[in-house]
Amino acid sequence: MSAKLWAIVRREYLERVRSKAFVIGTILGPLLMAGMLVVPALAARSKGKPLRLAVLDATGELGETVEAALREARFDGLARFEVQPAASSALASEAELKQAVLEKRLDGYLALPEDVIASGNASYYGRNVTNHIDLRTLERTVSAVLVARRLASAGIDPTKVKNLTREVDMKTIRVSETGEREDRGAAMFLALILLMILYICILIWGQAILTSVIEEKTSRVVEVMAASVPTTTLLLGKLVGVGGAGLTQFLAWSLSLFAVSIASAGASGAFTMPEITPLMLVSFVAFFLLGFFFYASLYAAIGASVNTVQEAQGLVFPVMLPIVLAMVCWPAVLQSPDGPLAVTISLIPGMSPLIMFLRIVVLTPPMWQIALSILLLVLGILAVVWIAARVYRVGILMYGKRPTFPEIVRWVRHG
Amino acid sequence: MNDKALVLKGIRKAFAGHVAVNDLSLEVPRHSVFGLLGPNGAGKTTTLRMVMNILGPDKGTIEILGQPADHAARDRIGYMPEERGLYPRMVLEDQLVFMAAIKGVPRAEAKRRLGPWLERFSLSDWRRRKTNELSKGMAQKAQFIATVLHQPELLMVDEPLSGLDPVAMDVMREVLLDLRRAGATIVLSSHQMETVEKLCDRVALINRGEKVLDGTVSEVKARHGRNTIALAFDGDGGFIASLPGVAKVTDFGQYLEVRLEDGYDPQPLLREAAARLRLRRFEIVEPSLHDIFVETVTAHGKEAA
Repeated sequence: MSAKLWAIVRREYLERVRSKAFVIGTILGPLLMAGMLVVPALAARSKGKPLRLAVLDATGELGETVEAALREARFDGLARFEVQPAASSALASEAELKQAVLEKRLDGYLALPEDVIASGNASYYGRNVTNHIDLRTLERTVSAVLVARRLASAGIDPTKVKNLTREVDMKTIRVSETGEREDRGAAMFLALILLMILYICILIWGQAILTSVIEEKTSRVVEVMAASVPTTTLLLGKLVGVGGAGLTQFLAWSLSLFAVSIASAGASGAFTMPEITPLMLVSFVAFFLLGFFFYASLYAAIGASVNTVQEAQGLVFPVMLPIVLAMVCWPAVLQSPDGPLAVTISLIPGMSPLIMFLRIVVLTPPMWQIALSILLLVLGILAVVWIAARVYRVGILMYGKRPTFPEIVRWVRHG
Repeated sequence: MNDKALVLKGIRKAFAGHVAVNDLSLEVPRHSVFGLLGPNGAGKTTTLRMVMNILGPDKGTIEILGQPADHAARDRIGYMPEERGLYPRMVLEDQLVFMAAIKGVPRAEAKRRLGPWLERFSLSDWRRRKTNELSKGMAQKAQFIATVLHQPELLMVDEPLSGLDPVAMDVMREVLLDLRRAGATIVLSSHQMETVEKLCDRVALINRGEKVLDGTVSEVKARHGRNTIALAFDGDGGFIASLPGVAKVTDFGQYLEVRLEDGYDPQPLLREAAARLRLRRFEIVEPSLHDIFVETVTAHGKEAA
């Protein structure tokens, strides 16, 4: 009995692991992830060319100060503005400036009305107004000039004010049972990356069960299998074998991710590696496996009741809803990891693999909640496997018309 | 030790809407070749599936090799279903070793047994090739090896000869008979009546889920009487159909098979035919299984309707 189960596990595992898709996916996965991390960082760093702009000054006295301030303005240590002298006769009137913008000699211009010091109203005219980082810098620079001017006219020393109103620079330090460490968002970043891996792996490998069951039906090999081993053994062997292949890839991805982040944290010093506790590691693997078994069983039931992958699509969505919802909920959970919403959904079987794991990463929840979450998830898995085994037993030998949902319910009740 | 390889007692199986198998009883003696016949949709596949414990009967009992049908019993059966199935992307050798492993044969042992079988079916060169590279006939032979590699005592094969070229067909027939000589019992299902007639000791005919005929091939033929006449002649034999006592004429052009009504003497027919035709042959023969099949199914269909 166990020898037969082992034979099936072995076959399923080897068939997956030996496929080209697996080898490519295992290598490409970390590269893609690294790409997802590195490319936005690089993209954010390259701010593009500085804005070419001119200042249209109706006050007749602020212009030069603003221009000087704009030339000095920096973002991430880079000058952001290339100021064209407004005095040059070609750019004297608003109409000419507009023309210059349209002809792309300028990116935009800043209009300062006569009462700008009192009203604080200024306008920017530009072809592109979605470059909000530059626009914020522009706004802040002009504000600083105006404030300095107002302070001076009220007889107050601007540098003194600047010193007196300096804002606080707050460090965030995470306190946990194992000590304290400074964290500038790396913990959240890590949590999201791990969450993403968990989510993607559960979906990919659940889908692998679906295609595998459908393929057995299409190639008709399932009848020979069903004549040799009980269908529950067949289902279990498939879940364990494919799950094992999934775990292999999951571990390969995770380990290479950890290796890359530790290496780059050490090399660049750009961020400190957030603390990774044994509890986090254990629950990462545990919630992958539990989540996989939960969703893979559902996928197996779907695969057994349809004839083609296309037919399966309509049934897949409702089944996937909990995990998709969980994925949508992560910002709320990060905001308040001990809040009622986070606690509730971290106990719901379909959502707990993602949500409870996320809570464990950001803030160790009470042990009883972790235990309850896992207990409910295991009960959920048992229920789902029980249902799936019944649907599977009837479905794998059914060809032709796709069964309706009431028919599938009947299989479960009478199976 | 029971002398029956397979015993079905009052088996019934109904699906939503229709009864697939109704009160079916069969006994397959050990070391026999048993033909399970019936038109499409008669309930053969359902019956085989119940023996393989893929489906559970609603009523009745199944006994395999002297023990009740359960998961242990079916390790002793080799089953080749009507719908062939192999894993398309698996290497042939791995595939066959796997099929034996799920029947409880250790991998090393299965590998050892595999060589001679591949040799016999001329598949040795394909040992390391993937299943989806095999031709239909090769896949059929591979499927058969998968069915027998665990040395089953009872073999249940559906259309074992279909899709094979004449050479492979001869090999397959020899193999089946060798297996029987070695002590196996073979239940085969086929629509090729000539094959059945040549291979089987016993047959059972199923129609609409019920057994309508059962016995050794000679018993079945004897029961249908020696009232079939083979006629070969020159001339126009059209009048024969209208002669008294003629139940049915199967016309092959220059050759006729005439079925007489029960108890009707063939002598008047001989006299009439000799008077009007130039006879080359007039022989009282056994009815073919083909005719028995067609007649029985047609008669049972009318009766049931």
